[in-house]
Amino acid sequence: MVFTDILYDASFAAVAGIGFGAISDPPIKAFPSIAILSAIGHAVRFCLMHYAGFDIASASLFGAFSIGFGSFIAGKKIHCPMTVLSIPSLLPMVPGIYAYKVILYLIMFLRHMSVGDDNIVYVQAMFSNFLVAFTTTFNLAIGATVPHFIFREKALSLTRVKKSKL
Amino acid sequence: MAKGEISINNNNLKSRAAFLSEYAAMLMGSGVHSSRVIRNTKRMGEAMSMEVIISNFHKSLMLYASDRSSGESVNILKEIPSLPISFEINTNLSRLSWEAYDGKLSFDELKERYRKLVARPKLHPVVILILSSFANASFCALFGGTWYSMGIVFSATMIGMSSKQKLLSKGVNVFIVFALCSFIASIVASTAVIFKLQTSDIAMATSVLYLIPGVPLINGFMDMMEGHVILGMARLIDAFLLVLCIAIGLSGTMMLLRNSLLL
Repeated sequence: MVFTDILYDASFAAVAGIGFGAISDPPIKAFPSIAILSAIGHAVRFCLMHYAGFDIASASLFGAFSIGFGSFIAGKKIHCPMTVLSIPSLLPMVPGIYAYKVILYLIMFLRHMSVGDDNIVYVQAMFSNFLVAFTTTFNLAIGATVPHFIFREKALSLTRVKKSKL
Repeated sequence: MAKGEISINNNNLKSRAAFLSEYAAMLMGSGVHSSRVIRNTKRMGEAMSMEVIISNFHKSLMLYASDRSSGESVNILKEIPSLPISFEINTNLSRLSWEAYDGKLSFDELKERYRKLVARPKLHPVVILILSSFANASFCALFGGTWYSMGIVFSATMIGMSSKQKLLSKGVNVFIVFALCSFIASIVASTAVIFKLQTSDIAMATSVLYLIPGVPLINGFMDMMEGHVILGMARLIDAFLLVLCIAIGLSGTMMLLRNSLLL
């Protein structure tokens, strides 16, 4: 089922976003927005990767884009800076499993260094995993930052609470 | 407050600039990216009829303020305290700068509001512990881990995170804390390998991810893209060293397990 798959992905992303956000002490009223944004961002990436044939790095770029734009809209409503909402929402997309494999293959390489030509396989695996982890993280940062440049002036005044008309 | 603190009633340029430098250092210390710190502080200065120029570094900041009416100027060099990252302080102090700019507050009121906002209580550590454990378990699910792996990651995070909180509150060096907690969490998660669970590699990999310094990583990139290249590099190197410590802790566990990892 396509729909339940997406929902499964989005709901776990929401929980992850809230939990990782909590480590950085966000304002209490930002939690609902963080949950929604992480769900949207991760679901966008999930759909692009599974139904549109995107690779993880470019899919992450679009996921981060949607989080960036979403954080502008949500930030306007609850008067929060965009980064307060976007950074916790990005964390569930950090490519941890690739980073883990970099270390795994590094250790495997070191252990097989003197065993002839086998070790080159580990170097190859280590480097390709590193490239995926690096480009994905880089794209996450770019995708979330670009909306700042697009909205320029408006993005700077999200925390301004308009005076009530006297 | 220290003995030499400037009295609140003293409304001269020096006391205003001292307040601004404290405000800017507080923002920098709480993990706000540079361009926001500069904008907020300039706006605040504008509200107090001062022109402000700031030069940011990783551990200190330099602030130049000149009074618009008298033309007097003052330079202040301020150390940046190393505080835990706080988005709440980021939000509230940004809002405070707008309130000052929109002319709602006097200088004394501003100082008072600032003190109150900074002293606001943080989320309770136990709440953070539980939420981050759930978060890491969901992270495991996102990578395709089974329910068993999720349970293992949950307990691994709980043990690792609580040791991180304990050690940091005791004032242990942050690099040592990260390496140690990464080792602790991954050794708990290695039970998945011993039980020969299908997704044991995912459990191992995600068990340490609660330590990833996401905020300095993204702040570093943002700083660099907004032209604060040196500060951005400093933040990225800081984050990179922490990631290195996580890797050291994780590889400690992997050295112990060695051959059982490649199922």
